[in-house]
Amino acid sequence: MTSLRLYLNKVAFSGPDLDSWEKLSEVLENDSPWARSSEWDPSPAILSARSARRVTPQIRLALTVAEQLGDSLGSDAGWVFASSVGEGETLHVILEALRTPDMMIQPLRFQNAVHNAAAGQWSIAAGITGPMTSIAALDQTAGAGLLKAALQVSREDRPVGLVVYDVPMPEPLNAKRPLGVPLGVGLSLSPTAGQDASAAIDITLCREPPTAPSQLASTALQATGNPVCDFLPLLELLSRKATGQVILGLHGGSALRLDVSAA
Amino acid sequence: MTVNFGGRNADHIGITGYALASCVGTGRGAHLDAITTGRSGLTPCAYPDLPFDCYVGHVAGLESMQFPAGISDFDNRANRLALSALQSDGFLEAAGKMRERWGADRCGVILGTSTSGIEKLESVYRGRTRDDDPLPDDYVMSHNDNHQAVAAFTQKYLGLSGPSYTISTACSSSAKALIDATQLIETGFCDAVVVGGVDTLCLISLNGFEAMQLVSREPCRPCDAGRNGLSIGEAAGFLIVERDHDHCIRLSGMGESSDGVSMSTPPKDGAGAAVAMRAALAGAGISPDQIGYVNLHGTATPTNDTAECAAVSNVFGSDTPASSLKGMLGHTLGAAGAVEAIMCIIALEENLIPGNTGLGELDPDISCDIVAHTRTAELSHVVSNAFGFGGSNCALLFSQ
Repeated sequence: MTSLRLYLNKVAFSGPDLDSWEKLSEVLENDSPWARSSEWDPSPAILSARSARRVTPQIRLALTVAEQLGDSLGSDAGWVFASSVGEGETLHVILEALRTPDMMIQPLRFQNAVHNAAAGQWSIAAGITGPMTSIAALDQTAGAGLLKAALQVSREDRPVGLVVYDVPMPEPLNAKRPLGVPLGVGLSLSPTAGQDASAAIDITLCREPPTAPSQLASTALQATGNPVCDFLPLLELLSRKATGQVILGLHGGSALRLDVSAA
Repeated sequence: MTVNFGGRNADHIGITGYALASCVGTGRGAHLDAITTGRSGLTPCAYPDLPFDCYVGHVAGLESMQFPAGISDFDNRANRLALSALQSDGFLEAAGKMRERWGADRCGVILGTSTSGIEKLESVYRGRTRDDDPLPDDYVMSHNDNHQAVAAFTQKYLGLSGPSYTISTACSSSAKALIDATQLIETGFCDAVVVGGVDTLCLISLNGFEAMQLVSREPCRPCDAGRNGLSIGEAAGFLIVERDHDHCIRLSGMGESSDGVSMSTPPKDGAGAAVAMRAALAGAGISPDQIGYVNLHGTATPTNDTAECAAVSNVFGSDTPASSLKGMLGHTLGAAGAVEAIMCIIALEENLIPGNTGLGELDPDISCDIVAHTRTAELSHVVSNAFGFGGSNCALLFSQ
């Protein structure tokens, strides 16, 4: 069975009351509870206040995750963005415009309606000119994102920044697919063990059921319905600096087995 | 001729089957005929309620197709379009053989699309009478507008259970899907992958490009001095990519890059596009003068064609034959990468350089050798470009 080895150099996290990996890691390490305490709209430092207002909460969230990884990745890195629903707010605004006779869509809205809007905005903000992709796989988007990142790390022999994010959509879309709270996870991955490597992850394909989160905060986060939460069992392991195995689901019945060990 | 693959294709990955449907017809025969004659499939847009006139690449007859009863919950225009391609040219039999050979678990499905089945969500939204009306009870996002919906349908319809996801990088989506398929096989995660590109006409695409003043009022004319915008088309293309197949056309090189400067406008010299094309050449170990034809992304907007052609002549010199298929098929958005890859494969098989349908007077600022009319030529290697919003560039190199 094929196994791909990745080295993990950095983890990023962005969510309500948990706007960094350090915060989530501490909550998980102590098995503390989590409950959303307030409305939260992430604001990436890389965008000016004016630029931030011109992009959606989806893009702002993705950029807060990407910029946490930024300094761990060189200009040769590839970037994989993954989101189950992508630009839900823009989709709703455009669909509403189509209910009017003149169907007027704002040009800026339209060019930022694409699923890779966050990837494109990150490339512009950070001046990145390397390969970048944007993928979706319904409830298994986290697994798909990690799979693509692993393919790129191993076949192109380059570090990869993985950014997985989803933001709840406005009504009436939300009622059909509630995502709970905005959440984003980032992983900085490389093909060789550098001095920053905190763990090694061996990835193989399997057909086992996905691992469920086991701690108070991660169980509460998973209950929100955001597919980014598929990463929580892996993050639980990483917060304890433990070794072990995590199964991450893929669309269509297969899954990824992650064997996590010390780098 | 000996070709150095730079370590690539150790798994002898080949393209063992394909199928496509577009405005020029369904199946290989219709598309070979369109290449041979240079005919355009673009027709005046008859989209109900569209508040402006334009030409589109419309696929006729999708409404009257019989949709498979067992999976009727996937019934929407995008999946009908996919179905029309999947049911053509013996593709189902070829996919069946693939599944038998490797096992369903070893066969992946990677789709590229920008809008998936969103056309159905548009009509559901427009059917609501009050602003706070919910969506109808029987509307299911996962089977319709969700980006993965066409991939999920394809997996179910073909009975495949290997890894599956969707690439959605606007108009480069399904070109990039071929890269992922190759990597899935090279890493041993799959033995075969069905790659698809599907996008339908929809109000979002039509009105969105119109809002950006990029839609032509006539059939689009790529590289023409008087070009004034694109014509949107709908299409589906599927390819079977398999290991251990030596004697078929293969994806020998692939390149990706980001412009990193604008969501919608490339730099004037097409610098990012050039990086992608050079990466494809380097990966294949092929020199620029070995390329017999470059299929331009060539959308027929004033700025994009000039920038792309500057990049093409920079990489290949100014006498490598090039043309755009958009005057024939329209801009099929997320489907363009896979559909035009198949057109390039047909060109390789038939030793034909497709003409640039719609070209009248060549723009003097276009710096590469635009082939106006289809002609025969010995072809070994061709390059196909696909670029998308977000500055997403992809170049694929096919060899026989």
